Amino acid sequence: MNGAQHILKAFQQHGITTVFGYPGGCIMPLYDALVGDVSVEHVLCRHEQGCALAADGYARASGNLGVCIATSGPGATNLITGVANAFQDSVPLLVITGQVPAALIGTDAFQETDVLGMTLGIVKHSYLVDDADSLPGILIEAIALAQSGRPGPVWIDIPKDILLTQVNPQAADQQEREGCESAEPRTDSATHNGAIDKDINELMRLLRAARKPLLYSGGGITLASAEDSFREFAEQSALPGVVTLKGIGNPGRHNPNHLGMLGMHGCRAANRAVDECDLLLVFGARLDDRATGKPETFAPNAKIIHIDADSAEFHKIKAAVLTISADLNDVLRTLTLGVKAQPLNIEAWQKQCRTWLTTGGFQAADNEEALAPITGPAFVRQLSRIAGDDTIISCDVGQHQMWVAQHYQFNHPRQHLTSGGLGTMGFGLPAAIGAQFAKPGTAVINVAGDGSFMMNAQELATIRRYRLPLKIIILDNQCLGMVRQQQELFYDNRESHINLDDNPDFVAMARAFNIPALHINRTDQVRRGIETILAYKGPMLLHVAIAREENVWPTVRPGGSNRDMMENTKPAKKKTEENAA
Amino acid sequence: MSQAITSSITTSGTTISNRHVLHCRMQSEPAGLERLCRVVRVRGFRIAGMSVECSGEHFEIALTLEGSRPISMLQSQLLKLHTVAEVVLGAQQARSVA
Repeated sequence: MNGAQHILKAFQQHGITTVFGYPGGCIMPLYDALVGDVSVEHVLCRHEQGCALAADGYARASGNLGVCIATSGPGATNLITGVANAFQDSVPLLVITGQVPAALIGTDAFQETDVLGMTLGIVKHSYLVDDADSLPGILIEAIALAQSGRPGPVWIDIPKDILLTQVNPQAADQQEREGCESAEPRTDSATHNGAIDKDINELMRLLRAARKPLLYSGGGITLASAEDSFREFAEQSALPGVVTLKGIGNPGRHNPNHLGMLGMHGCRAANRAVDECDLLLVFGARLDDRATGKPETFAPNAKIIHIDADSAEFHKIKAAVLTISADLNDVLRTLTLGVKAQPLNIEAWQKQCRTWLTTGGFQAADNEEALAPITGPAFVRQLSRIAGDDTIISCDVGQHQMWVAQHYQFNHPRQHLTSGGLGTMGFGLPAAIGAQFAKPGTAVINVAGDGSFMMNAQELATIRRYRLPLKIIILDNQCLGMVRQQQELFYDNRESHINLDDNPDFVAMARAFNIPALHINRTDQVRRGIETILAYKGPMLLHVAIAREENVWPTVRPGGSNRDMMENTKPAKKKTEENAA
Repeated sequence: MSQAITSSITTSGTTISNRHVLHCRMQSEPAGLERLCRVVRVRGFRIAGMSVECSGEHFEIALTLEGSRPISMLQSQLLKLHTVAEVVLGAQQARSVA
């Protein structure tokens, strides 16, 4: 078997059945090996960025490894945004690129780029294979490493000649026997041992001593597959809780003590509770700046207890009085036993938080007037009511992303695919494609903005080719809404290069890809529009014209304190580039 | 937290950096030093001195670093590199003014 055939063998051995790729010169041996191979479905996207983001969406929706493949040079550089996106959100990805033949590396050959060098900052680990006999072992190690500990992308760059070289069968057998010993997660998140028991006892002591304890959870809950144990602990402890953008869905739809998302576009109740709490119990989160706001004023009265798989996150933004690097399931189950045996005495605090929630939750008046223009929040609330409990929503980045985070009621975190760390416009459509491959029987909806949609619109062809039944909703405000909002609020309303009123006709565009589409622009059309696309068997696009001046509320000034939330204000008269001059 | 944590001191707008010595042992793969140096830079430190010896399959690296951030944060980040086996903080040396 040559190197390329060993890659397919590794896919089979590790249960990898779907990969997203785009062929080209130096990766051609792998594509040649794919001819006639029936063990893996290769999904041809229309841009390498689409491949990486589809693999990312596949991994987020399924919990399995995402795989993307591209050629050298521009193929590899086009992957970079997607891989960075996965890195920032700890998504397990295996990236395979062809490289120019080994003898040509360093000669500025056609389609040669230093892929290893330019991607060091966006991978968990990477390899430039220099010996065909090492490839089987590298594949085993890379697949394990991408999924172990804190997951992330692992990149294997393989010169074309190595893909064609016969691998020594004895060397391959030996590496496969040795398995993935070297890829074992090297972390101090040790097995459940005495030291961790002692820490959990201390955690429980601090929890019982607190009068205003608050639960703070992030994407690490899902990464640890700890959704059930988290929900059990949240319910049994009855702790008031807040979630980060990536933690949305952790507590489910029906936890009465759940306050919602905190942070820059979080609700007032959640930010208020963080401001007032005396103990913050952080599970699977890294306390990033969009969530904490100005760190100095974040949770000013609280002792922080930080539990995460990655100990490098401890004390990075906020000092903690207690840190535990362990399997979140172990910690949560032990804590659940503790609160079951002796419930917490926090009724006054629970009552206070619920009072805040009644007035400081995400409020958005549903439009009553039939002919009124559609607003983003009202549309998302309606979508949430109509879509099924298991529906996966894949967002792009911008105002619509925040409206979904605020107003859609998610039952599970894997239903909410969003680019949290990198904030990648163009994420939503290819991620929805990946999610649909991961969950072929589940409804998948890409909620996009008009700006984001155009960043990977070529993937409409992928949807058509594979007859994916996913739905696309474009909330079109004919501008880069989040930038416009920030220009309005923080740049004296000087609009600069945000106007998109020359957008293409999105309905005609979808139809050009043989995807049916509808257009709505009035409140009384919303329900029927949503129901129509959801009932359609194949892919369908709903173009929703929404009010241009709608903002995401509340908001916090970038770098500001979460306690200084800004509420809905009437915009000042717009200063365009023309009338400001 | 590690006792090695130091903090920056700002006097009249001047940030005083601290000097640290880190001893690292890592697998001697071709990109090893690039990985290491990238993390040092991104996490806010400047390399004031560096010595590298290759002993079999490992690099033994002594880094003299300047920076105002807690050195324990850098240690944690370096240890996340798959090919880094050990990071030990040496005796703290004289502070320098940046």
